[in-house]
Amino acid sequence: MEAYEAGSEADFERLYRNTYHRILGTLVTMVRDRATAEDCAQETFERAYRSWKSWRPDAPVEAWLHRIAINVAISDRRHQRIRQAGEIIRRLGRPEPGPDPASVAEHSDMLLAMKKLPPKQAAALVLRHYHGYSNREIAAALGVPEQTVASRLGAARKHLQAVLGR
Amino acid sequence: MSDLDRDLEFELHRALDPLSAAPLPPRRLARAHRPARTVLGGAGAALGFKILSGVAVAAAAVTVAGAATTGSLNPTVWGHQVTQQVASCKAQLADGQHGIGDCMSTFANQHGQAVASSARQHGNGNGNGAANGKDKTNNGNGNGSGNGGDKSKSHSPKDPTTTTPPTVEIEPTDPSSHGPVHVTPGP
Repeated sequence: MEAYEAGSEADFERLYRNTYHRILGTLVTMVRDRATAEDCAQETFERAYRSWKSWRPDAPVEAWLHRIAINVAISDRRHQRIRQAGEIIRRLGRPEPGPDPASVAEHSDMLLAMKKLPPKQAAALVLRHYHGYSNREIAAALGVPEQTVASRLGAARKHLQAVLGR
Repeated sequence: MSDLDRDLEFELHRALDPLSAAPLPPRRLARAHRPARTVLGGAGAALGFKILSGVAVAAAAVTVAGAATTGSLNPTVWGHQVTQQVASCKAQLADGQHGIGDCMSTFANQHGQAVASSARQHGNGNGNGAANGKDKTNNGNGNGSGNGGDKSKSHSPKDPTTTTPPTVEIEPTDPSSHGPVHVTPGP
């Protein structure tokens, strides 16, 4: 595991290079499209940079970043719901536009189903099954009890099984 | 590991691994907070507008109240008039006689009527009720909302038979473009 020094400009740049794609991977499963995920990833590093001087290396730095990223994604989802309400009002009486072909190409049924999960459940799934975190590590990253992680994972699996029919 | 777990891992890697191959975008530099937008836009703008409106309305109310109280937009004018009237009333007192309440009340009542008339001419008259001079003797027949500002404690007799009809003289008006207003005394 790489070591980082809090407040070091060079170390933050290195952190960005080492973790950007993994953070982006988590966000892609939580927000509606790739562009939004990229925007959220940048927002995550902006927020992390603002707190970089006060970061304490008592927890893995990537877990800290994931925690910020998940909060950013949750905020984005809230704003997205407000934007969607506005869109629905604007579209009243008009035919609904078809899906964007570019976004369809990168989405599988599984990914689409994950995006419909509550964001904290989606985050738990991606940390467990993509990044390979243990439940304990996820609990530390999200600042919740291990039992909460287990119940989120269970609920997420149940939901996916129902949606995907597996 | 269940089938679902295996499917999950397979699907996640299939969808997310290509992301790692994408070039790393330059890091967006931390943006400064935007207090100006908060103040000038959105809810901040609405709040700012309300505050400014409130201040403007309060200032206007103070001005109008001042004018209504003094008969002039300049409070010092009314202040001088009151000072002169007090001296005049004291001079009229006979030896051993006390109190200038009646004298001052008449003066203030006339002033209240003048202000009410002026306000009506300006279109500001609320037109409800008599001038609020506390002197029951004169009953303040001026229609309109001119509060005569008569705070003097009048001790005039309450017997209506002893009342004399009010004498209305030329009103002290603000030396502006508006001419003096004549008020016909009530019955």
